[in-house]
Amino acid sequence: MALGKVAVVATAQTELRPLWGEAQHIDLISAVVTSVFKGSGFSIDDVDFVIDSGSDVLDGRSISNCGFLGALGAHRKEEARVEADGIWALQYGVNKIRSGASSVGLIVAYSKPSESLVENYWASQVEPFYQRPVGFSQRAAAGIQAQRYLADRGCSERDLAELAARRWADAKAHASVQIGDVPDAEAILASSESALPLTELMMARPVDGAVAMLIVDEPSARRAGNNPVFITGMGSGTDCHAYADRDPLKLASLEGAAAMAARAAGWSAKEADVVELSAHSVVGEMLAMDVLGLDEGKAAINRSGGALPADPIMATGLCRAAEAVRQLREPQLYGGGAPSRAVVHGAQGVGMQNNCVMTLEV
Amino acid sequence: MYSAPESMSLDMPTFHAEISLPYTLTPGGAAGTFLAEMKNRRIVGSRFANGEVVAPAQDFSASDGEPMASFVEVPQTGEITAFTRVDGTIIAFIKLDGCANEFPHRVLGDLDAVRIGQRVKAEWDDGVENSILAIKGFVIAEDAAVGTVSDLSEPEEAIGSLDYALALPYEHAYGPYYGRMFDEIKGFGRVMGVRTADGDDALLPPREIDDISHTPTGTWKTCADTGTIRGCSIINMEFIGQTKKPPYVYAEIVLDGASTRLIHLIEIDDVEFAKKNIGPGTRVRAIWTDGERKGSMADIERFEVIEE
Repeated sequence: MALGKVAVVATAQTELRPLWGEAQHIDLISAVVTSVFKGSGFSIDDVDFVIDSGSDVLDGRSISNCGFLGALGAHRKEEARVEADGIWALQYGVNKIRSGASSVGLIVAYSKPSESLVENYWASQVEPFYQRPVGFSQRAAAGIQAQRYLADRGCSERDLAELAARRWADAKAHASVQIGDVPDAEAILASSESALPLTELMMARPVDGAVAMLIVDEPSARRAGNNPVFITGMGSGTDCHAYADRDPLKLASLEGAAAMAARAAGWSAKEADVVELSAHSVVGEMLAMDVLGLDEGKAAINRSGGALPADPIMATGLCRAAEAVRQLREPQLYGGGAPSRAVVHGAQGVGMQNNCVMTLEV
Repeated sequence: MYSAPESMSLDMPTFHAEISLPYTLTPGGAAGTFLAEMKNRRIVGSRFANGEVVAPAQDFSASDGEPMASFVEVPQTGEITAFTRVDGTIIAFIKLDGCANEFPHRVLGDLDAVRIGQRVKAEWDDGVENSILAIKGFVIAEDAAVGTVSDLSEPEEAIGSLDYALALPYEHAYGPYYGRMFDEIKGFGRVMGVRTADGDDALLPPREIDDISHTPTGTWKTCADTGTIRGCSIINMEFIGQTKKPPYVYAEIVLDGASTRLIHLIEIDDVEFAKKNIGPGTRVRAIWTDGERKGSMADIERFEVIEE
């Protein structure tokens, strides 16, 4: 028996801000969980399960989802926490529905990195005997990745800055991201050094926010209040933990994840109309585009700006999916056309160790 | 609702917290031996069945998971294969002579002298033991001879465990509901919650959405500072994270006028007395601290049993 089809029928997201100083986690979570049902044709009573993504280390409490259950709408429902980027929570939820175990799932991801020291969060992810003492962590991995990428591809820091500037401008134009002045390439080059050759504005900017997504099986999708977007392929992969042991000029786990998703969908990322990528740095994003064989001229890549202007750590991949859903359902907001295929990507771990890819179709 | 906010970010006071935990890390055979040998200024690597040498030592191959075959002493010279600079520190991947892998460490010296393929050698830091930082970093050594891997004679016993500590500081946002609750405690010494859509009893702490019905909550309400214990435990043991020396009673108290439980402490002198007299159903009263209130649950110093 073939596995069932799963559709996204609604999404909701807070504005992504560097500092949501006047709201705590539950305020952001209950905002999106309340909003996601509006106009969807579904209510909280229809929800069979809730899966949420967040980080105990960033939240500053262990098993933090237990304190957020009420805001999540999970009272006396099946609830599970995925301590990974929200796109993995979506993957889990899709599989629950495909298996026939449930019909309606609520996926939530949230992040408040402004409450903690993000450097500590990254440091906690590396090995404590050989790596952490010498100061190797997320930023060093991104810097080394960039140094090698520039040497291999013969591009310059200015190329990096120009791509980053486009992403910031797109986020300001299209996405719900709090941005003051959009930095141009000059400003990006002139921002302080983060990890040579990367400047601060070439790294993903941590932001606070929450995102919710309602997914349903095919029969339920027929009563959705808006066009359903079907998830037709999924793939994920993991690379070596030690960054030094990985192939420096590709993201092997992204390659595997993309191939897995393409097999299920019957088409590859090259054929997508809309692409939403997550990356920890501008070079990470360039590598991801290379691995997926993307051409900026053909697909609309990161029209939301992607993760560089706004990286709600642990929610970034699910935000990408929500952005792609909006672009497929409401192309008039993006200058028209009839996009029908999207690829969304989430990444996590030091140096983008883990990658997840999904294909969406209308 | 915050999904479509009109407001700009406000500069609000935060609640400072810190999670500071002690750990005992277990390095295992390979890392334990590597770290133990630091004081002898020897760099320990692992040789695998296929002949490959990896340093620092690893119990299992990162590429195929095979267990290591034997320890080796690897040269203290090698070359830089990649580099970056973070917060002024140059971090490079070093490939030691005779080794198949690279690993991250610091490069001491000027960035101008750092390039891919640059020969380097380890510089040791006297007085550091049991840490990879006994190698202070690698220094440029243009003419360093290419070393060879040798067997490790009489290795030190592996370090079994290492004390470690991790401290994570936080600045938590209060949000509008907790914010007002703590403002009311600070300003007026009263505990306020919000009513649910279907009743007069208040949720404490207050929140925008009722957990059970997932509908918006209603108006604010002042609860009494007396209440009833609904669950408790007599704590007679010390453990990490306690704010008070045992014995005391951890109690879940429903304040009069509230529907939810508030966690607080009841002071006791005598465990036997507490066993007989404190339990679910016991009536208690808040004892507020003397002096200026700070706007925290600690402004209630403790609860005490009401003699009724």
